[in-house]
Amino acid sequence: MSSIIAKNREDRPYALTDGGGTSKELSSNFKKRCLKNADRTFAQATQCQETNSISALLSMQDAAFVVHAPNGCVGCVSFMNDNFKVGQFHRGVKNIRNARYIVTNVDEKDVVLGGEKKVREAILELEKRYKPNIIFVFTSCASGIIGDDVDAVASTVQKEVNAIVVPIHCEGFKSKVPATGFDTVFRAIQNYIIKGERMQKEKGLINVFATTSIGYKDQLELEGLVSVLGLHVNYIPFYSNVEKLKRIPAAEYSVAVCQVFADQFMEYLKNEYDIPYSKTGMPIGIRSTDEWFLSVARLVGKEDVALKHIEKEHRRVLPEIAKIRERIGGKRVFICAGTGRGVAAATLIEDFGMKLVGIQTPTYEEALIENFDQLQKIHGGEFIIDIANMQPFEQSNLVNKLKPELFIGMSTWVAKLGIPSTHILESKRPTFGYNGLLYLARKIENAVENPSFNIKLAKHKKLPYKESWYSENAFKYFKEVGN
Amino acid sequence: MGKCIENPRTSCALGGALGVASGIERVIPIFHAGPGCGLQASIGQKTGYVGGIGCPSTNMFEKEVVFGGTQRLRETIEGSLEVMDGDLYVVLTGCTAGIIGDDVDSIVNEFKTKGVPIVSIDSSGFKGDTYYGYEATLEALVNDLATEHPKEEKTVNLFGIVPHQDAFWQGNFEEIIRILNKLGLKVNTFFTEHQGIETIKKSSGAALNIILSPWLLKNLSKIYKDRFGVDTFRYSGLPIGPTATSNFIRELSQKLNLDRDFVEKVIEEEEDYVYSHFEKNIGVVSNYRFIIVGDANTVIGITKFLVNDYSQVPLLAVITDDIPKVYHEKIENEVKNLEYGRKPKVIFEIDKWKIGELVREYEDEATLLMGSSFEKEIGDELDIFTTLVSSPITGSFIINKGYAGYRGCLTFLEDLYNNN
Repeated sequence: MSSIIAKNREDRPYALTDGGGTSKELSSNFKKRCLKNADRTFAQATQCQETNSISALLSMQDAAFVVHAPNGCVGCVSFMNDNFKVGQFHRGVKNIRNARYIVTNVDEKDVVLGGEKKVREAILELEKRYKPNIIFVFTSCASGIIGDDVDAVASTVQKEVNAIVVPIHCEGFKSKVPATGFDTVFRAIQNYIIKGERMQKEKGLINVFATTSIGYKDQLELEGLVSVLGLHVNYIPFYSNVEKLKRIPAAEYSVAVCQVFADQFMEYLKNEYDIPYSKTGMPIGIRSTDEWFLSVARLVGKEDVALKHIEKEHRRVLPEIAKIRERIGGKRVFICAGTGRGVAAATLIEDFGMKLVGIQTPTYEEALIENFDQLQKIHGGEFIIDIANMQPFEQSNLVNKLKPELFIGMSTWVAKLGIPSTHILESKRPTFGYNGLLYLARKIENAVENPSFNIKLAKHKKLPYKESWYSENAFKYFKEVGN
Repeated sequence: MGKCIENPRTSCALGGALGVASGIERVIPIFHAGPGCGLQASIGQKTGYVGGIGCPSTNMFEKEVVFGGTQRLRETIEGSLEVMDGDLYVVLTGCTAGIIGDDVDSIVNEFKTKGVPIVSIDSSGFKGDTYYGYEATLEALVNDLATEHPKEEKTVNLFGIVPHQDAFWQGNFEEIIRILNKLGLKVNTFFTEHQGIETIKKSSGAALNIILSPWLLKNLSKIYKDRFGVDTFRYSGLPIGPTATSNFIRELSQKLNLDRDFVEKVIEEEEDYVYSHFEKNIGVVSNYRFIIVGDANTVIGITKFLVNDYSQVPLLAVITDDIPKVYHEKIENEVKNLEYGRKPKVIFEIDKWKIGELVREYEDEATLLMGSSFEKEIGDELDIFTTLVSSPITGSFIINKGYAGYRGCLTFLEDLYNNN
């Protein structure tokens, strides 16, 4: 069973989770292989991988979930449950339901005596209540440290239930990179659902692997794009089901929404099922959308069709973009987002003639180095990269020094510095493709055109940092620990 | 305690502790916990000065799990003192620290002896739910910070409205404070009007503790009594609507020996305010047979308002807090202590599916279901008009509206009609 415990992202060759500097420095040291991974002696709270593991699967239509943890470890699930409901609404579901999750509510007694019995009880309850096709069992720091054998429980109880019981090992303490939680999920899909079974190919079927943050409008945008190439989509894992997961090997091609999502899994599908895939950045902005679309077209051998479509779409959206560019071009921008979306945002702002001065990214790794090189070509090598899982204190320090004219990301902190801000993460409106571009362009223009809220908020409220912090080196608390 | 729960409505002890710590202005919570705890525990908590992922954290990974995390905690506290601007630093431990047995107190004491304002709370998630964390943190803060202080006859401490767990906590506080101010009282809540640790220190001088809850904060009440001679006036449930609120005021006034004529004048004015609005909106809200699902305070408060003041008929009341058995009878009696009509059946249940099955038994009769966003599902399925009154409320944007007191009942009626 140990094979399903996915390898951590930080264990990939040369992947960094903490560090900072100008892009030029980082990139050159990275290529010389003398960029050392760092640790922070002071840090703020981060996200853990458990959140990603659960969110990847929570919207599956025929699944139910056990979280072997105290109540607090499903804090994020209540938020995802809401997203799940919004997703159902967008998909026209009439009676919107909650995700089916039971938490084992690990208490002091369980910590001493073990809580395996409760995992079993929860699985049996879910089977009785909902007759799901699949039950995922997620672990937590607490269940991991006390050493509960969730695999053994799963395989024993499997004989008593019809649902496929799948343990997901996502103990927070095991990985510094939350995205590891996605990899764990795909490994589980591979081992428990696909299981190396062969099936007939379905002509024109393409697997599209998407992260949690992709709204229905963006799903439609992707489906629309690939339909131009005569393809239809198996959209995984959101709002999918066991049947759809089983169909994954039937596809002719695979593509993901960004360069670091499902990459190992697509490699597995290529090796095991001969399914070619494309690995590109998130289709946000002209350049990234063109590239994403063309990369799929190349798989299919329909580059000409794609180019024609691109030309048509450019004709449609570029005049409007040009107008917006005149109004917001030249503005200096700081970006904070997940790896894929952050890099995509940095290429998106090129469309508006804006300039990148700083970016926070959760990882800096081989899969991204090409993208960062491209960003250097666009924006020069002087922009700051902060490799960070959250860490708003570094963000506030950097933003306060760099004084960008726009911040793209969660505005919770920079708002109090008076910096105009907006974000490009939307679950209700399109951010992908050529339609998303227009929406985002207008949204970004809104933030630049009217920054009243942040400007006035900054006069009334302050961030929880000492004044002295703003003059310190933002990377003061890094301690090199090697690779 | 400790049963499996489908769709739990509370966080863990850490979540409750964080709600208290980040709810007090210029307090800096420091997590000695796993990497995701800050984010998980703060979901649903609206942060002002600092909270959630803005809080320092030791983010305990494999290394700390194996070798212990005390050095990591020391570094993190040192960094917090350099970077974070606060009046008090509160170390909150999570499951990892609790299970591996880090000696947190000795690290915290190193800083205390140097004069650093710092406290630690044992809030390992597995110790209990949000309410556990709420109680443990308030107890620790009062124990650690409050000192003898001259008595202030017109000052009261107000407890029992649990930050974040009461979805309308800000608004509920605001209305109760408004009413108490009108009675000439100064109110310590620790959580409102920029009250900070200075208020906690001086809370020992209050004339009375008001605890709005049939079961919470027994130990805190004892600490105030034993150490500072402060008595507690416990009122079961949130006073909502004219009858309950006036009743609350009269009981309180007796405890504080307030001038009776003055108090009656306040009550008359406030009741007139409410009834003047009632007068303009007669016949808008229908007559329902209702089911209510939520925390004890909300269930008691809304049931009493709807029955005693608004001619509605109760069928079933489900209390979703994990309350020790010894309090069940008291709470059940309180829900059933109604002026008119029938008494509802009272059930203590946390599990979403089981609650759904209870509601199903009334499918034929019930015309109104009030609960959390989780209950929307069964309400839709059975086609019962459903509104949101208890946590978690994810389908409605709440800033500072509340249902407590005189004015709150009007907001409640608006929401009921608008189906918020």
